[in-house]
Amino acid sequence: MLLRIFTLLFAGYFVLVGSVFATARQVENNNNQGIMTRASSEQPDDLSFDDFEADFGDDFSASTADAEKLISDPFQPFNRGVFWFNDKLYFYAFKPIAKGYRFIFPRPARVSVGNFFSNLATPIRAGNALLQLKFRDFGTEIYRFVINTTFGIAGLFDPAESVAGVEKSVEDFGQTLGHFGVGHGFYLVLPIVGPSSLRDGTGVFVDSFVDPFRYANLETREFIGVKFLDAETRLSLDRDTYEGIVQDSIDPYLFIRAAYAQRRLAQVGEDTYNINIFEGPLFDGDFLNPFDWFGF
Amino acid sequence: MKKILISGLLILVFAVSGFALPQPQVRVKQMVDSILGVLQNSGMSPAEKKAQVSGRVQEYLNMQSMARRTLGAYWKDATEDQRQRFSDLFVKVLEGTYLNRIGDYSGGTVKYLKQRVKDDKAIVDTAIISAELEIPVQYKMIYQDGNWQVFDIVIEGVSLIKNYRSSYGEIIRRNGYEGLLALMEKKVSAMEGQ
Repeated sequence: MLLRIFTLLFAGYFVLVGSVFATARQVENNNNQGIMTRASSEQPDDLSFDDFEADFGDDFSASTADAEKLISDPFQPFNRGVFWFNDKLYFYAFKPIAKGYRFIFPRPARVSVGNFFSNLATPIRAGNALLQLKFRDFGTEIYRFVINTTFGIAGLFDPAESVAGVEKSVEDFGQTLGHFGVGHGFYLVLPIVGPSSLRDGTGVFVDSFVDPFRYANLETREFIGVKFLDAETRLSLDRDTYEGIVQDSIDPYLFIRAAYAQRRLAQVGEDTYNINIFEGPLFDGDFLNPFDWFGF
Repeated sequence: MKKILISGLLILVFAVSGFALPQPQVRVKQMVDSILGVLQNSGMSPAEKKAQVSGRVQEYLNMQSMARRTLGAYWKDATEDQRQRFSDLFVKVLEGTYLNRIGDYSGGTVKYLKQRVKDDKAIVDTAIISAELEIPVQYKMIYQDGNWQVFDIVIEGVSLIKNYRSSYGEIIRRNGYEGLLALMEKKVSAMEGQ
């Protein structure tokens, strides 16, 4: 009996949350134009001046050759070799398969498969948020997992974002190490995996210990199959980013290395890359995060 | 007398605040709207769209500044002739890279999040919203020749100029300045051949 009441209360809470957010979204959409005009007519926010110079970075100061490198690369000949191997693997195996996959399954189906894998990777994101003492992000991940596993039918859908507007916070052990001041070490291109570094490669290895598939009693062949499906799903949803880079840059290896270093720096530096689309405390995406209620 | 003084002061204040107009965010919005206007026009051929976008964007981007920042420390070592050749090639590389992507456009709106202004520098934060993605895009701007001009675009934390600077810097260290220019020339002719 008690259990039943709890379940009802629980369900009631989420329905309420959903409707509040749905309304909030609508209101927000209607106000979009208003926010825009207000923001442009107001004086800029003084509080943000602290990070203004940091955001501008070295763009106005003379930078040295060292700073330009972004990431050290002592094993470049080796990395270029693996890069070449990955390139061939991409164009002759992974991409053709992704194209066939794209052709057979409509986009919504592939998005759902992607959501499913992403939901199962929650322990990695939640665990690393916790290690970095980002309790808010930890709560967000738990909230998303509960909603998406139940209402989202085992994670195939993402109502936590599409209805409640609570976005995923991307965390991994490489970022956790970076958060506590560990640098990249050196750039490393891993076979199949792609751009990485000593730090981030270690991170991928550590994260694999909280990967649910590791404990699913799969045979090696099945495990590889699952990972392959995950990778192909992501490739099928991507808009040929890699092709574009290869086609347009003088030296794709250098271009990807620079982008990787910058992207990881941004991920480590920011709490989350989420943009809070709700204005005001009531519609703050974290308002319904239980961890917020206890003052974390 | 007091009144005149105050009104004089007010005029001064307005003149000073009017100095920075139009606001950086408004400029970015003008640029984005202008590009979207072309992209969403179904009556135009891809080639026409390319030409239109190219022409419209030039007005808002400070190509000179982009080229100089891309070379960074190497700019001052280059001769006047090399700088000019680099700038011309760099514009062509950017055009080749981004104008060839015009066909990929499949809808999406832009949300303007905030702007930060300090003296003659500004950062405008926006996000591109499409079906499943929300991509943060930041515009870095400077005030020059009576206008706010974009000199760098940061997408998900990846600065376009920093990326070019890092890779071109390494090519200059390896192949020298002329080596970089030769590679760029080759790339541009390959792009134009498509």
